[in-house]
Amino acid sequence: MNAIAQHAPPPPADTTLHSGALEIRGLSKAYRIEGQPLPVLEDINLKVRPGEFIGIVGASGCGKSSLLRLIVGLEAEYEGEILLDGKPVVGTSLERGIVFQDHRLFPWMSVGKNIALALKNHPLSQAEKDCLVAEHIALVNLEGFENAYPHQLSGGMAQRAAIARALINRPKVLLLDEPLGALDALTRVRLQHELQRIWVKQRCTVIMVTHDIEEALYLGDRVIVMDARPGRIKHEIKVDLAHPRERTSSLLQGYKEQLLDELVGH
Amino acid sequence: MPRLLGKYRGLLLPLLLVGGWEYLSRQDAAGAYAFVPLSSIGAALLELLGNGELLVNLAASLARTSSGLALGILFGVALGVWMALSPLANRLIGPLFHSIRQVPMLGWIPLIAMWFGNGEFSKVLIVTLAALYPMVLNTYQGFVHVEQRYREVAQVLVLSRPQQFVHVLLPAALPSIASGALQTLAFAWVTTVGSELFLSSGAGLGNLMMNAEAGSRMEVIMLSVLCIGLCGYLMNLLFTRLSRHLLRWRATR
Repeated sequence: MNAIAQHAPPPPADTTLHSGALEIRGLSKAYRIEGQPLPVLEDINLKVRPGEFIGIVGASGCGKSSLLRLIVGLEAEYEGEILLDGKPVVGTSLERGIVFQDHRLFPWMSVGKNIALALKNHPLSQAEKDCLVAEHIALVNLEGFENAYPHQLSGGMAQRAAIARALINRPKVLLLDEPLGALDALTRVRLQHELQRIWVKQRCTVIMVTHDIEEALYLGDRVIVMDARPGRIKHEIKVDLAHPRERTSSLLQGYKEQLLDELVGH
Repeated sequence: MPRLLGKYRGLLLPLLLVGGWEYLSRQDAAGAYAFVPLSSIGAALLELLGNGELLVNLAASLARTSSGLALGILFGVALGVWMALSPLANRLIGPLFHSIRQVPMLGWIPLIAMWFGNGEFSKVLIVTLAALYPMVLNTYQGFVHVEQRYREVAQVLVLSRPQQFVHVLLPAALPSIASGALQTLAFAWVTTVGSELFLSSGAGLGNLMMNAEAGSRMEVIMLSVLCIGLCGYLMNLLFTRLSRHLLRWRATR
């Protein structure tokens, strides 16, 4: 069912409508644990072009999830600047969507209602909303499961629904916090494929945090390697390969060895 | 045939009890007094149905229990929500609430009787108060313990406060509220009959029992007890069905 990704010609990227240039300048964040400051991020500088796919890898505790929480607006106190299209981000906004590792669908709502809830504050008519929901359910291949409750779905299906919920607002920036981390290997590969297909179609800016180096290389235009305690950017690899990609590409293999060296070596 | 047995398995123990009861009632005169024969309970049923006494008293108790429950649940949920959502309300009301609820319900009856007399208002008030406590506690717990990860999703989707309440907080707290309502149900009949026994005016199954005791009519007391048991069982069944429907989104364990 994933054959579409290879055959569909990439539609013209709608970059004028979808800005989404993200700039992070001198970003530092510390939590207070029993009165002691515990630095989690230190002097992060990152520029993301509109429509770029960034993969972030690094050991656990390197603050990659904290970085996403800061960008999406769930954490308030930090030093430095986070700018979206030149404007500082304040709180949460429908311009910035996120998919968490646990799908976080509301268990008391059907899949369709969960996705529709994201449109609650859009000035669209009910018919237009229904249409958008149906479109996004189709986008993530969940037709027929509109009325299912989350507990009736497999992990992969639930995560697809969560991706649809994050995409339906057409966010300028989509943040993915290890969205495939809890899935089995086969489902993960399948969903990586789907993510690539969806992204090629929508071309929003994506920042994906992952443990999986192959995943980051397969999907990312750039892969950022982070170091832990405190979290900081250590290295960056530009993956010069057009989308959609072949998983077996020798270029990706080369990058993988380079990255492994980076992470495990020294 | 085994399937039929399975369906009515719940009736087995009650039937055994009834059989044992009937056996004991036939032993001697003392046994016949303590364990009235089923036939006289049946006769009492026909008699009280005939002169309307049973229905009048049953209706009075049922109305009292239901209105007390409804008011208790309504105010209990409202108060619980208020305490959960407003730290100020919690700090103001919390200590008072937690000390008052230590006083057993029946301990309030003399005070309420002095203040409001022994009429209908006092009785419904007692049932309402009894229902209020578990409802406040469970509603409060339900709202306070809504998982942070769900609150964050509400934040990410930029839901307004009322939208968060309707779509996230209330449904998340509903299992706790429903279990509060089930607890409340058990207290409601206890306090209804208790209030009728203490404030002996007007109609009610409690009053029927008091009068039967005065007239040494054991079979009428038994009949009242059976009525209360049956009503409680049916209301419990109704509540369980309703909450199962409302919480159908939960994975069955």
